[in-house]
Amino acid sequence: MQTGVAAFLVVLAAVVLAACGSNDTLTVYGASSLKIVLSKFDAGPTYSFAGSDVLAQQIENGAPADLFAAASPKYPKQLAAKGLCEKPVPFASNTLVIIVPAGSKAISSLADLKLGPPRRLAIGAAAVPIGAYTREVLANAGVDAVLTRNTVSDEQDAAGIVSKVALGSADAGITYVTDAKSSDGRVRAVALPDSAQPVVTYMACVVVRDGANTTAAKDYLTKLTGPDGQAALKAAGFGPAPSK
Amino acid sequence: MSTRRRNQAFLAACVLAAVVLIAFLAIPLIALVTSVAPGRLPGLLTSPQTLDAVRVTAEANLIADALILLFGTPAAYLIARRSFAGRRALITLIELPLVLPPAVAGIALIVAFGPNGPFGGALASAGLTIPFTEVAVVLAVTFVAAPFYLRSAISAFAAIDGHCLDAARTLGAGRLRVFRKIALPLSAEGLRSGWALAFARGVGEFGATLVFAGSVAGVTQTLPLAVYAELPVSLDSAIAIGILLLAVSAAILLLSKLPHLWTDSKSQSATSSAI
Repeated sequence: MQTGVAAFLVVLAAVVLAACGSNDTLTVYGASSLKIVLSKFDAGPTYSFAGSDVLAQQIENGAPADLFAAASPKYPKQLAAKGLCEKPVPFASNTLVIIVPAGSKAISSLADLKLGPPRRLAIGAAAVPIGAYTREVLANAGVDAVLTRNTVSDEQDAAGIVSKVALGSADAGITYVTDAKSSDGRVRAVALPDSAQPVVTYMACVVVRDGANTTAAKDYLTKLTGPDGQAALKAAGFGPAPSK
Repeated sequence: MSTRRRNQAFLAACVLAAVVLIAFLAIPLIALVTSVAPGRLPGLLTSPQTLDAVRVTAEANLIADALILLFGTPAAYLIARRSFAGRRALITLIELPLVLPPAVAGIALIVAFGPNGPFGGALASAGLTIPFTEVAVVLAVTFVAAPFYLRSAISAFAAIDGHCLDAARTLGAGRLRVFRKIALPLSAEGLRSGWALAFARGVGEFGATLVFAGSVAGVTQTLPLAVYAELPVSLDSAIAIGILLLAVSAAILLLSKLPHLWTDSKSQSATSSAI
């Protein structure tokens, strides 16, 4: 009996200790669209990929992130304003495209979504970066009606958009060109007019919190903005960080 | 160590385990309910988007539950009362959706019923496209919830003493009459609890719906999807919807146990000193 209880307590203690973790590893919180490129660029850190808004919320609530690489300047700047991370650094840019299922020929331009028969569209929800950019593109191109005349599924991240199109649930989606590249050829990209493209700046910041691995986070960011990082980002379809 | 002390130690360990586990289960629920001031709930829950989600959830679940009862009850009766080759394999097949991750269930539904699936072409030529419609929500809910009902119904029907049914048959009652007058009443409790579990699971359905039906406001956006959609917008509304879902699930589960809620059948049938 006593040995049973003791064994139970030992297991419990082990579980609790494991959950606490040590702070010599680097933890990078990255926007979903960075998943493939960052994991390939440096397999060392522990990554957590999700929508930038979700990650920002987690960091605000004390999540153990050391570096935050976001798909927009908005969330790093918000965190910096609250003293939760250092000055955000731009490290990449992205462009938006229409994606359609690989075999589909029904949609070859933005006009097809405005004029053709009503379609099923997967786009980002207004509150997430890809959704905000998508609305910006549509407004810039003067085709807001695309949102009302088609059946629109509001996705919380790019993964939701790509999977809907790849599996044929949606006739088309609007997402980053980098997502179109990473879809195993299941979706095909249709370009959006350059004049309508929003400025999609990716910014990263070193998280400020007790016990953060600041040194490793800074090293990682330096490497990411250096030649190696930029080459990896370029290969994945990202553009250079815009010079302000 | 004496036997008596050993017994006491064992009992104490059981009590400790129970307290720890129950606290672990209850604390997050209590924290959720208390994280938004009750006075703010009505305001948070009456946004047009949330009301739409309530409607979609109610419609889809009522239809799905009708389908589950309509098809599930006779199916369970058949499987429970007949022995045939492959019965165990069939029951395993029925139980599979229970353990399948909901997102996988969603993908499975798309590849089966989506535009590119084996039925997609036929459905499309009949003018039916399932993804992004309420039909998809009904299918997703039925797929993940039906096994809960089926499992429970099969064991309820199987537990009926076969002699009762045989006696009724020999006394001249037809199959339907035996089913209605004997089998249904005798298994009512099992059917009710299975239905409650299925309904509660269906109301909370998230993954399969998100993947298969999408999140189209007013069409496929159910309450759990609305929680997900509200997360980046307003944590308070997301929590408010969460509390609503918790209340609905609690109500369903309690209702199904209503006749016995305060009588503890376990301690009456088994002796309380058994442990």
